[in-house]
Amino acid sequence: MRHPSYIRAEEFDRKLGDPYADDTPFSFAGCLALDEREEFPEEICRLLDDLGVPAEYVPAVHGGALRGYEDLLHRVRLLARRDLTVAIAHGKTYLGAVSAWVAADDEQAGALGAQIASGAVVCWGLSEREHGSDLLAGEVTAVRDGDRYVISGEKWPINNATRSDLVCLLARTAPGGGPRGFSLLLVDKRRIAGAFHSLPKARTSGVRGADISGVCFTGAKVPANAVLGAPGAGLEIVLKSLQLTRTLCAALSLGPADHALRLALDFASAHRMYGRVLLDLPEVGRRLTEVYADLLVAEVVGLLAVRSIHALPAELSVISAVVKYLVPTTVDRMLDELGQVLGARAYLTGRELGGGFQKIVRDHRIVGIFDGSTVVNLNAVINQFPVLARAYRAGKRAGAGLAATTSLRDPLPAFDPSSLRLAVQDGVGLVQALPEAIEELTSLAGLGSVSPALLATARALWAETEDVHEAMAAYRPSARDVPASAFVTAERYALCFAGAACLLAWLRNRADAPPDDPLWTDGRWVHACLARVVELLGGEPGAEPVGTLAPALLAQYRDGRLFSPWRCRLAGERRA
Amino acid sequence: MPDLEALFGDPFAEANPVGFAAVLAADERGELLPEGEALLTGYGLGAEFVPTELGGRFDRADRMAAVLRAVFRRDCALGLGHGVTSFIAAAPIWTSGNAAQRNWVAEYLLGGGRLSAAYTELAHGNDFTRVETRATRTAEGFVLDGRKELVNNAARADAAVVFAKTEDRPGSRGHSHFLVDLAAVPAGSYRRLPDFPTVGVRGCLLGGFEFTGCPLPGESLVGAPGEGMETVLRAFQVTRAVLPGMTLGALDTLLRLAARFAAERRLYGRTVAGLPHAGATLAGAFTDLLICDCLCTVAARALHVVPEQAGMLAAATKYLVPRLAQDAAYALSVLFGARGYLREGPFAMAQKIIRDLPVLTFGHANAAVCQSSIIPRLPRIARTVGEPAPEVLFRSDGELPPLDFGLLTLDYRGHDRVLLLLEGLPGEVGLPGVFEAELARWRDTAVKLAPRDTIILAGRAGFETSHRYALLLAAASSVGVWLANRDRSPFLDGGAWIRAALRRLGARLGRHGGDPAEEDEELGRELFARCADGVTLDLAARPLGRSAGTSRGRGTGR
Repeated sequence: MRHPSYIRAEEFDRKLGDPYADDTPFSFAGCLALDEREEFPEEICRLLDDLGVPAEYVPAVHGGALRGYEDLLHRVRLLARRDLTVAIAHGKTYLGAVSAWVAADDEQAGALGAQIASGAVVCWGLSEREHGSDLLAGEVTAVRDGDRYVISGEKWPINNATRSDLVCLLARTAPGGGPRGFSLLLVDKRRIAGAFHSLPKARTSGVRGADISGVCFTGAKVPANAVLGAPGAGLEIVLKSLQLTRTLCAALSLGPADHALRLALDFASAHRMYGRVLLDLPEVGRRLTEVYADLLVAEVVGLLAVRSIHALPAELSVISAVVKYLVPTTVDRMLDELGQVLGARAYLTGRELGGGFQKIVRDHRIVGIFDGSTVVNLNAVINQFPVLARAYRAGKRAGAGLAATTSLRDPLPAFDPSSLRLAVQDGVGLVQALPEAIEELTSLAGLGSVSPALLATARALWAETEDVHEAMAAYRPSARDVPASAFVTAERYALCFAGAACLLAWLRNRADAPPDDPLWTDGRWVHACLARVVELLGGEPGAEPVGTLAPALLAQYRDGRLFSPWRCRLAGERRA
Repeated sequence: MPDLEALFGDPFAEANPVGFAAVLAADERGELLPEGEALLTGYGLGAEFVPTELGGRFDRADRMAAVLRAVFRRDCALGLGHGVTSFIAAAPIWTSGNAAQRNWVAEYLLGGGRLSAAYTELAHGNDFTRVETRATRTAEGFVLDGRKELVNNAARADAAVVFAKTEDRPGSRGHSHFLVDLAAVPAGSYRRLPDFPTVGVRGCLLGGFEFTGCPLPGESLVGAPGEGMETVLRAFQVTRAVLPGMTLGALDTLLRLAARFAAERRLYGRTVAGLPHAGATLAGAFTDLLICDCLCTVAARALHVVPEQAGMLAAATKYLVPRLAQDAAYALSVLFGARGYLREGPFAMAQKIIRDLPVLTFGHANAAVCQSSIIPRLPRIARTVGEPAPEVLFRSDGELPPLDFGLLTLDYRGHDRVLLLLEGLPGEVGLPGVFEAELARWRDTAVKLAPRDTIILAGRAGFETSHRYALLLAAASSVGVWLANRDRSPFLDGGAWIRAALRRLGARLGRHGGDPAEEDEELGRELFARCADGVTLDLAARPLGRSAGTSRGRGTGR
């Protein structure tokens, strides 16, 4: 049985056109040229508008086409595979609007949805020049004046600050600030002419065509009903909205990683060294399959995380932080490894030799930076160590929510924003299910359906997970001085999450896999993924299972399929 | 000699024609900073690459690395494009050239000439044994045909050292070097290829040559015919040993910028520097810089002191140092956040260095090539025992015997004199027994390496063993440098940095342990003190360039 969201992803990619063809607007070569000219991808954004992509950013309940976050993950991932600049330039409207989906009343949300469907661009005005991720220090003010708010101050750097029609703005509404001192306002720039100006586009290392700029308000007056949700609830709404956007950030890493691995394979299968095709050198083959395994881990983490938006929303404060730390960091490291394979070609600009690999590296660096950096996300996990450790010890189960999250055939409940929580209460079901999953694997091994080697690797993951939870239990929270060692524990927790996600994804979906798929037979992909996770945790992964992935990697490459445990045909033919 | 840092002046002064603002503007234009080139020509940088007996200033490999490190602190593109390239090209001449060739190159470099090293062909990369450019013998000499690509300064060098095939039969004795005076060959017998633009060191002119029936006089042949690979293997021991030490200047600058950012930026009601995670990141990068410097110091001095095993050290250094430096740069990039991503503003140099660093490492032997040259010798080295290296190998201001290219061996069969330092470590370095055990474990694996794991097509076991070898060498080098230089400054004497170094290397070997908090605090104090005093962040702690009229820092050897 093929998984429907991957079939829809295929259809979407086909609509985007052949990325290898010179005459399609959304081609690899076209995006490389735009980047060199530092030019905004105007034509491509129009194409996406024409294809109705903006409606995908609007939940169906508010008149849009967004029914499941799994679809959004795949779409943004396929956009980002072609060009990260396009993905963030266009997808930014989702970020701008998400707070409305989380907190606005139906009338407000419906109105915004209609605007977006008709092409309005929305940006999210959070960051300020001197405060970065420290939202409580924000200085932009919105002062109540009768039935209006008067807005003053500067937001920078903001994606699409200049091109946007609307700004979803976080502003200080109580002079003293504090957790209840900020509100979100939906500011329509088209109605405040003269009371704001745009700040010039910042020159960035990557995503050079993107409109990363700023906006400065000079006494702009907006109606009081521009406030999204309750006045004073701005920070809470932002923190909940970030749970969604941070989870979806996985797409911005998965796409570029797929493209980069394909470029490395283009080179490694054509280039000869020491009388052999590069791919046949053991060290090169090992690197490529390791990167492939890492990419599969990242996909499973991202996939189960977006499914948990629907099925386990109360856990999202931890899950989103794990995703936003782990996936971009993993992909940065993968790109580094792939660069070693490509050698000089990894650094050559222009199309013929590097194929744009250097652009992917530059572009992707921003994913770990925006929307809450690695440090911010690890901190979010650390703050919840005590409850995570307790829930793990107590073996708390997540029941139906976990089943729906992990089993791709299960229909997902509609996303309910009122279920989002700023902190978890019952831990993270996926990680807490690990001991039971090991039991299940043990009985499967007893029946001979699972190799003893896979069981041993899974047990090694379990041992590391126990170890990590001991460290979490021993941690004494401190609001100010979070010791550096806690960050190491949080990184390790993220890996445990990834391992548990892989194991459960395999257990719950293996029955649906085609019997002849080498990735699923004998648990090949899950074994390799667990081994990588255990290795990164510093444990003993056992014999080299990663190498067994090579045939699947090459088959997906040659057939032009997405690098994934699930089948998904990509558009276009790679030209030699 | 005037001090290069003093000539470069204050990097942050907007008006400084060789300050960071000018360096960044040149990078945006994709050209080498002309004022920087003029400054280095005025300084006579070429003389740094010419042995003293030929009229230059090259008498010590560690000194050369230190001088060039100052250039890399300012601008990697200048360091590579104006500097090192010519040395890489000259090294085979110092190794195998005859008196006339040596004198010619010496005079050429002393006169400010640029020498291109024409090895690479895009189709073969680092695999020089497959080079297709060929030199055919004629009655008058040779005729050169073929393309060389990714050659630094090809667009504007007046001379080049070209690596070409001189025999049709396969094997290691089929190639030779040629010293080509491009001004003397007939016009039309070669052309310069357009540049290959790169994402980092954008100012470097990475071009190429296409030779078509280019006649060369017989005396352009360097060394005996077919000696090319042997010359490469000898000459590159020197270049691989000194290059990583030079490029550490880039990490020095990145770390200084990060410390500045952390001290200025306020988040959550305090400076970033006051956040424990940021403090640990800075201390970690500082420690890694010191580890790298220890390994580079030992690799460079080994060329003089233990030349027979210098090749192993050079390859391990060229393998490990770029990797540690890049990991440190990545950690610092997380600390910078968006400020490290902007090509404008006070920290724009950060994104430039983050782009430059990886390009520096692919040039001149990538990781796999270096590892491949180490792996075959590991079993024998692990089996053999003997005397540890003398203290002079580690003492940065100690006298050195002259560097004799002829003593560099191609097939070292002795024991590793540096690794032995890990036996019986003093208790104050912490981690009791860990490195002794890791050394024993490594020996055990290395002696058992199957022959199929020791060739160029080596499997994972070979690469993994060479990786651990490099980490152990870094640990041993750090211990050696610490023991031999304790009297040079209170910081070098105090144990914090060596404990931190061994803890971090131990973690890379899979041995986690120790609480870094106390060491990190001391390293942080030293880091910020050095930044305030305007001295470098490496072992030497040299004064940095500053505006005229301001007072000097605490000076060398604090």
